[in-house]
Amino acid sequence: MTRIRTELFRQEAGKALNNRHLQEALSDFQERISKATATAFSSLSDAEGLRLEARRARMRAIENLDVLLDRLADKILNRGGRVFFARDAREAVEYCLETARRLGVKKVVKGKSMVAEEIGLNEALQEADIQVCETDVGEFIVQLAGEPPSHIIAPAVHKTKVEVGRLFSEKLGIPYTDDPVALTRAARNALRQRFLEADMGISGCNLACAETGHITTVSNEGNIRMASTLPRVHIAIMGMERIAARLEDHDVLLRLLCMGAAGQRLAGYVSYLGGPRQPDQEDGPDEFHLVVLDNGRSRILADEDFREILCCIRCAACLNVCPVYGKIGGHAYGHVYCGPVGSVLTPLLVGVNRAKDLCLGETLCGACRDACPLHIDIPGMLLRLRSKLADGDDGWGVKRERPAEKLFFTLWAGLVRSPGLYALALTAAAFLQRLPPGAKDTITRLPYPFHEWTQSRDIKRLDGRAFRKRWKELR
Amino acid sequence: MNGRKEATLFVPCIIDGMYPEVGEAMVEVLRRLGVELCYPAGQTCCGQPAFKAGYRKEAVVAARHFIRTFESAGTVVCPSGSCVAMVRHRYPELFRDDPGWLEKARAVGGRVFELTEYLVDVLGIEDVGARYRGKVTYHDSCDLLRGLGVREQPRKLIGRVRDVEFVEMKDSERCCGFGGVFSFKYGDISTAILKDKVRNILDSGADTVVGCDMGCLMNIQGILSRTRHPVRAMHIAQLLAGSSDALPSPARRVPHPPCR
Amino acid sequence: MQNVRRALGFPPGRREVPAGLFRDRPDREVLRAIHDAKTRSRDSRLELLELLRERAGPLKIGVTAVEDAGAAALAVARLVRETCPEWGVEKRVAVWRHPLPARLDLTRILADSDVPVFTAGLCAPGLEGMPAEESLEHIRKNVVESCIGVTAADYCVADTATLVMKTRPGQPRMLSLVPSVHIAVITLDQILADLRELYAFLRWEAREREDEGLTNCLTMVTGPSKTADIELSMVHGAHGPRELHIVVIIGPAASTAN
Repeated sequence: MTRIRTELFRQEAGKALNNRHLQEALSDFQERISKATATAFSSLSDAEGLRLEARRARMRAIENLDVLLDRLADKILNRGGRVFFARDAREAVEYCLETARRLGVKKVVKGKSMVAEEIGLNEALQEADIQVCETDVGEFIVQLAGEPPSHIIAPAVHKTKVEVGRLFSEKLGIPYTDDPVALTRAARNALRQRFLEADMGISGCNLACAETGHITTVSNEGNIRMASTLPRVHIAIMGMERIAARLEDHDVLLRLLCMGAAGQRLAGYVSYLGGPRQPDQEDGPDEFHLVVLDNGRSRILADEDFREILCCIRCAACLNVCPVYGKIGGHAYGHVYCGPVGSVLTPLLVGVNRAKDLCLGETLCGACRDACPLHIDIPGMLLRLRSKLADGDDGWGVKRERPAEKLFFTLWAGLVRSPGLYALALTAAAFLQRLPPGAKDTITRLPYPFHEWTQSRDIKRLDGRAFRKRWKELR
Repeated sequence: MNGRKEATLFVPCIIDGMYPEVGEAMVEVLRRLGVELCYPAGQTCCGQPAFKAGYRKEAVVAARHFIRTFESAGTVVCPSGSCVAMVRHRYPELFRDDPGWLEKARAVGGRVFELTEYLVDVLGIEDVGARYRGKVTYHDSCDLLRGLGVREQPRKLIGRVRDVEFVEMKDSERCCGFGGVFSFKYGDISTAILKDKVRNILDSGADTVVGCDMGCLMNIQGILSRTRHPVRAMHIAQLLAGSSDALPSPARRVPHPPCR
Repeated sequence: MQNVRRALGFPPGRREVPAGLFRDRPDREVLRAIHDAKTRSRDSRLELLELLRERAGPLKIGVTAVEDAGAAALAVARLVRETCPEWGVEKRVAVWRHPLPARLDLTRILADSDVPVFTAGLCAPGLEGMPAEESLEHIRKNVVESCIGVTAADYCVADTATLVMKTRPGQPRMLSLVPSVHIAVITLDQILADLRELYAFLRWEAREREDEGLTNCLTMVTGPSKTADIELSMVHGAHGPRELHIVVIIGPAASTAN
């Protein structure tokens, strides 16, 4: 299992805020990518229409997931592929290990897959003495650095070219350079041999098509094509929700995916894969396996309040506009899915209490909902998660957090429905604030639990003459 | 717009308790335009703080009180985008399993307007006869912009204020890091976001930053005050209340209609 | 799967396919789109070629329009001359076993410059009688050692500058992937307007309905391999080809050869 570190959100966020390199990298990245995608969207003649169409197609798929997965599996089996439905991470990992063992696999090349990260596949393969090589340039960088990815599309976004240069000169033994062209060339050379030697390729799946029985992989580098073409076995792992009913749905969904991810009309390579090499063909894997992963997704599916998050096509547009992600980066979220989508998905997958900081540590500004090609209501779902933390929820096994806060809001509720008491409390609070000797209009230090505000900001004192009092004179 | 203009005021809790002068400024502006105002004395809070922190049961208490208070009012005007978004968009969610209250919530939600929305969209007025000497930039607050879709209205109003030089700041639509409870619980992340906002404000060269939500402005003013920057954070009502000689204000004292 | 059915509130066991979830026949709009595309005038095809050029430019795709197969062969020969081998020392070209590249007769054209041409197909000349496993190994080795791969394509989408290739016998996917340079030879009538048109063809055009479908691997290629993983700087040639050229035969006699 991959390590879940959501409890460390505060510490990790704090570290990120103090990391000058990271701050530069993130602000530059967000600035450029969000402008590029916004420009790309504005070039579409009917962006809103496409989004609605995409959303309809995704919801239709989610609501008929059983039928779609049956159809997909049937078609792949007919072509000689194999399909395995994994209930959880352990089953999925076990299936991959078993396949590798059966075929005597020693070397694996991987295309970027968030689902593989979710189930901790790399660690498991390495423990079984199988070499695993990440091949997406960004993933290759973070693997060399011994770090997890920090962005869904751009895993090494937290690294500057200087850092990559140092890393490559140390680990690949090339002379130091910070030229992205030379660095990419070094990765190209290092990885080519790995592709040719590998016995097994592992990839994710961007969006399957039930009607035709294919998975799709989308990339710009071609690494996923390499990994799914050259080795003698290919295992693709997909989250069970990543499927569309009809081929024509792919038109709009893939366009929005590429546009949301990188402002492209279409990514460099889109492959439809639906089975192993046929006897009369010259290349392709001899075995093709598809692992369909549940790992908590059916539970989300069952809850209509959160079902919508399964529409996500992982374009990462929400990360690129989120003010919080823009400051703390991906690692602070403590799990593979970061940013706004992660702050909904992670609590639902790993436990809401465990990931409470993800639910609470967002400003609810709504930029994610606007940027999302499918207009997924991430802030709305964060609010629902917060209510589970406030009052507990048996269905999701959430325990109530912060009893003192509950007490505060209970008292507050008593005040807001009794205007007389409310006015009295306001006057009393204003009076108390003025008691300390030398009290000024501006407060520079608030007591616990409000103290974090005044670490960097002043706040105005309550006015002794609230508007409700002044109105009497205004009339 | 002709005929009698009437509006009921909803003054949100931050303005009521901390910034009553903003409420007064709104009254000044609306009366100058000949709007008859009333202020239900029983009003308290719309419930937003509880709702956003997750305390829905408590938010329902506030929402019911709000609905009762404003049920019989006509048009309700409020100088806060986030409070209006709460009433208009979140109340229906709070009462989604309670058809009786849901209907009432929708009815009230349809009549509540944010100040600039009321001026420009309802009254059809862009020039309120204000004057302000200064270089002004505008911060889009999140709920107003994304929740209510209000982007142009405040800019139109500012554009018509005499002597104002208006400049757009970079990323005016980016969150200031307030987020209600967020800014108290995650002070350091909030501050980091806020610092970008302040840098953009300062880079614009403006001496005044105007907004439509006191939450954001309290946040921005807080750090400007701490770091002793002379830039002023100002609610749009205050900007619009700055009087001008160009427009006579005959309705300075509109008689106060009976209010429940 | 039982979990999925339960989550959606359905009883265990396979559910009947809801009406309209998949399409059994195309709607009229789709049929019209296919018909219009197939009967497009030469002028509008040439307009699509212009659109393709416009879109291809920023994506670093070379587009060369030529009159006939002979001119196409010369265009390919020129590209071969300009290419330096990246990994090996020998300059070698690998070609699909496909009627269109075959018409270019590259073996003869490149003989002068001493560049060997390898036809990457089982049962291709020179491979007759070789056991399958050995042939596959032989093909793979030769393609890996080639610095240029020449293919045809099924379609080319003008709006996105996308080549669409199905994997079929004699048309391995390696050729558009492993060599440093990929050259695709197509004919004017293979150019479609946009992705919507492409998906209509892929799903409903007569050939597709004859049940070939997408085959076990359909590849859409939009430009050479690229990455922007280091500070968002765009670098071409991440793993796959660093160059992509499309040679379009536009002469009136040209037509889809496959």
